Amino acid sequence: MPIAFKTVFNKEFAGFFRSGNAYIVLGIYALLSFAATFYAGGYFSLDNTSLTSFFLYQPEILIVLLPAITMRSWTDERRQGTLEYLLTQPISYVSAVLAKFGAAWLFGLLMLSVSLPFWLLTSFLTPLDNLNILSSYLVCILIIGTFSALGCTVSAFNSNTVIAYIISIFVLWCLCNLNLDFLITPAENISDDVFVRVIRSLNFNKHYQDFVSGQIGLDNVIYFFSVMIPALWLNVIALEFKKK
Amino acid sequence: MIVIKNLSKSFNEIKAVNDVSFCIKKGEVVALLGPNGAGKTTLMRLLTGYLVPDGGEISVYGIDIAQQRVDALKKIAYVPENAPLYPEMTVFEYLHFAAALRGLTKDDLLINLAEAASQMKLAEVLNQRIETLSKGFRHRTAVAGALIHKPRILILDEPTEGLDPNQKFEMRAFIRRYGEKNIVIVSTHIMEEVENIASRILLMNKGKLISDTTPLSLMNLYPRKDMAEVFRFMTAD
Repeated sequence: MPIAFKTVFNKEFAGFFRSGNAYIVLGIYALLSFAATFYAGGYFSLDNTSLTSFFLYQPEILIVLLPAITMRSWTDERRQGTLEYLLTQPISYVSAVLAKFGAAWLFGLLMLSVSLPFWLLTSFLTPLDNLNILSSYLVCILIIGTFSALGCTVSAFNSNTVIAYIISIFVLWCLCNLNLDFLITPAENISDDVFVRVIRSLNFNKHYQDFVSGQIGLDNVIYFFSVMIPALWLNVIALEFKKK
Repeated sequence: MIVIKNLSKSFNEIKAVNDVSFCIKKGEVVALLGPNGAGKTTLMRLLTGYLVPDGGEISVYGIDIAQQRVDALKKIAYVPENAPLYPEMTVFEYLHFAAALRGLTKDDLLINLAEAASQMKLAEVLNQRIETLSKGFRHRTAVAGALIHKPRILILDEPTEGLDPNQKFEMRAFIRRYGEKNIVIVSTHIMEEVENIASRILLMNKGKLISDTTPLSLMNLYPRKDMAEVFRFMTAD
């Protein structure tokens, strides 16, 4: 691992805790997940062999909370003037972007790990389909990565933290609710199967449900990386743009 | 050695740096002078790879900064105007971060950190958060961070801004000392500082390099009461 990457990664990750933001976000995540599972999710009324009530609202919770972590990744550097310092250090822009993204992703995983005792607790109460639960956790890990990449990129294009937070939520909400199924019938009439499959593959909810129901395919995994990688590339472009 | 050839940079219609060429050798302390908007900060940002020139070349000890930015930056340290720092870090954490970014290993890291902190007299504030420091200490922390890997080229934008008279005196003495074996480029408005530390002056106006000489030659060429008058004479509209 390049030392510059590791250094920026460590600084970023430690920075979440230095500012105190991390504790607030972790606390709110625990509270929201608890509320979503036991009240909105109907923990006691649903079949919980796959912790369905817990995973029901995870994307919505992450849409609200992850931008709170990523919003400061580049806006703070710009506000403090440290962007000029950081970008005149011997570190490639790709490393800097990946370090900040990696730190946000790791924090998201730490946040998700708050729910592990809940898994353990439920296993005492009812027999669980652990493979299905693992699959649901896997999709949450991928969602956190995708949301972190998009959040960091939005932050790189903005100089105001609040604006970055609002735009991030909007972008993530659009991603999760993008549903082009209304195009399927006209597409079937004018084109072959490929176009229809492309339209279906853009549906976030479909991929999420595939994972949660334990039917993981390569296309599900590719979907998340096909959002994550271009987002990170855009982040690098945003930094390069400042050099012009 | 820094070699700059026909460097140009425009922002929309404004030519911030216009066909500038010069060469700086080891052992020189160069004062970059000019009125506001002359192109000094843009020139420093080009030198540090923060901006990409529209035309021209910058070579740092034979390394083209456009082609090998990361390698060239290993030889350069830059303290931008207002000495930006991470306010939530302590001075020690910041210096540790700066050293690690420069790829220093554990032993070298601690030795260099101690040396830089002692050069900038930061011992008493090492464990203090940067946001609680006075402007003078903040500035010295930024310079210490820049010195951590013993750069061959040190670029300082307004290095004595916010320092008290004693600190200014010490900073200038340090710049002179450091410039004996390295290259130091200083951007300043303070003429007293130029006379005090610079072995060479690059005078810029409206993006152009209008004079490249020593302080003594400049005074001989334009006999005036002091350097400030020469500056006014050369940069007046």
